Amino acid sequence: MKMRYSQTLRSTRNGITSVVAYTLLVLAAALAVLPIVWMVLSSFKQLEDMFVVPLRWLPHPWYFGAYPEAWAQRDFTRYFLNSAFVSICITVGNVFLCSLAGYAFAKFRFFGRQFFFLVVLSTLMLPLEVTMVPLFLTVKQFNWQNTYWGMIVPFIADAFGVFLMRQYIMGIPDELMEAARIDGMSEFGIFTRIVFPLSRPAAIALSIFTFREAWDMYIWPLVIITKEDLRPLTVGLALFMSNYGTIWNQLLAVATIAMLPLTILFFCLQRYFIRGIVLSGLKG
Amino acid sequence: MDITAKPVLVKRTRSRFQLGLSARRAAWGYIFMLPTLLILLTFRIIPMIQAARLSFTNYDLFSAPTFTGLDNYIDLAKDPVFHQSLKASVLYVTGSVVPVWIISLLLAMLILRVRWFRGVFRALIFLPVIMSQVVVAILWRFLYFQDGAVNTILGYFGVPSVRWLTTPTTALISIIIIGIWRAAPYFMVIFTAGLQAIPEEYYEAGKIDGTNALSEFRYLTLPLLKPTSLLVMVMSVTVALKVFAVPQLLTNGGPAGATEVVPLQIYKTAFEFFKMGRASAMSILLFAIMMIFSIVQIRLFSEAGE
Repeated sequence: MKMRYSQTLRSTRNGITSVVAYTLLVLAAALAVLPIVWMVLSSFKQLEDMFVVPLRWLPHPWYFGAYPEAWAQRDFTRYFLNSAFVSICITVGNVFLCSLAGYAFAKFRFFGRQFFFLVVLSTLMLPLEVTMVPLFLTVKQFNWQNTYWGMIVPFIADAFGVFLMRQYIMGIPDELMEAARIDGMSEFGIFTRIVFPLSRPAAIALSIFTFREAWDMYIWPLVIITKEDLRPLTVGLALFMSNYGTIWNQLLAVATIAMLPLTILFFCLQRYFIRGIVLSGLKG
Repeated sequence: MDITAKPVLVKRTRSRFQLGLSARRAAWGYIFMLPTLLILLTFRIIPMIQAARLSFTNYDLFSAPTFTGLDNYIDLAKDPVFHQSLKASVLYVTGSVVPVWIISLLLAMLILRVRWFRGVFRALIFLPVIMSQVVVAILWRFLYFQDGAVNTILGYFGVPSVRWLTTPTTALISIIIIGIWRAAPYFMVIFTAGLQAIPEEYYEAGKIDGTNALSEFRYLTLPLLKPTSLLVMVMSVTVALKVFAVPQLLTNGGPAGATEVVPLQIYKTAFEFFKMGRASAMSILLFAIMMIFSIVQIRLFSEAGE
């Protein structure tokens, strides 16, 4: 009897709390999404319709001219391709090298392994904002200013990736590698044909995480790239804003295109995005 | 079966080569680790050491650096512009980080409470995280504009139009709001994982004892969530201390230095005024602040738990 009383009490309480929960979540989702929707819709408005009062969500009339007009001002295709190229190179390089190093730290016994692993982990605490001045000088010594090399190479390995891949690869049974060794497979072959395919879930999460950060890269190219045709989209967009700051529909049009790749990727591979973030929590 | 038997067999027949074999294996370990190690040494560790070294010089990119001892640090200690920058960073961090903790934990708990559309809510709320910082800056500059959506909506409630980005206090608040908007969903995901890792039995036990929602949160969820909370605290402070693109693009540090956070001042000092030595000293101080914040948080947190 007592039991049932508390149960009904709880279910009414749950009913009320879930109404509150849904309300708050709808509010949060609106706050997160509506600014973005507003930006996309406004990119299809004519300049004089930008700030009409009261707010009008849908463009009236729909105007698609802002896109070609923005493209006529700057070579955004080039910026876009630069961003794509640099981000893909960083992602591929980072996932490959971090898996390789993660494999070494997970499955090989060698002198100084713990020490080297600590050296790798210590770089977690060195953000670019702290090291950018000397990193700029280093890259300058390599004569890598205004090159793709300068944008890519410093970022094709990082501690988070190594840590992540090592954790995952440790879970792969040793017997699989031993068996391959007995079959006469080369050590590199074991990596490419056994270890790497088996660590795919971690590798996908890491690639998405890396790609997101590479696509977002701003301060670094700002520092080392001054040549127009090497600029990534982020820097191109920032410069466009400082020169054409009030031609809002064009600015928002380019911003919309800039967010497109990650948005598409996100809706296709949401699970891996979330996993990448969760795993980034492990590094602390 | 078969697979597990094989290595034993190998050990027996090749025992004479065991040493050679393990040395060769070790060599492969080094080879696989080496590229990553070299890159991290060249582009992270050596630059950090170099930053420490440069911070004792007056290097200006054009003439050879001369050793000036602690001059850069003494100058910074006396420089009101740098003080202002520290103040901007501290205000930004304290202003954004506490709301981020509360909102992200609340969102995580809400997401786990609802039964329907959980994935949809999570995906939608997560969207700001995948926007690149430059896009975020443009988007919010549009919203904060004199005749923009924020002022229009406030106008519906009779609030007079605010000049968001052109007075010191509102500019800082504007940037803090953007920081919260972008960081809260990120940490919501981490809190969600942390909450899901708490075994259900604890709550069952709590229910039998007749705890209410508030005490359940206070005496069960919070203590059990401690590792996750600590992580979120340290990460969110570090992220907030690194903020650069949004203040640079929205206000370029203005008005009157109100939003010139430390990374932005480092950037200007190094790449607009070419004072590499001074910028390095600022970088070292920023690094020290990050470390102190992290250590203090870990300390406070482990004491509070006892």
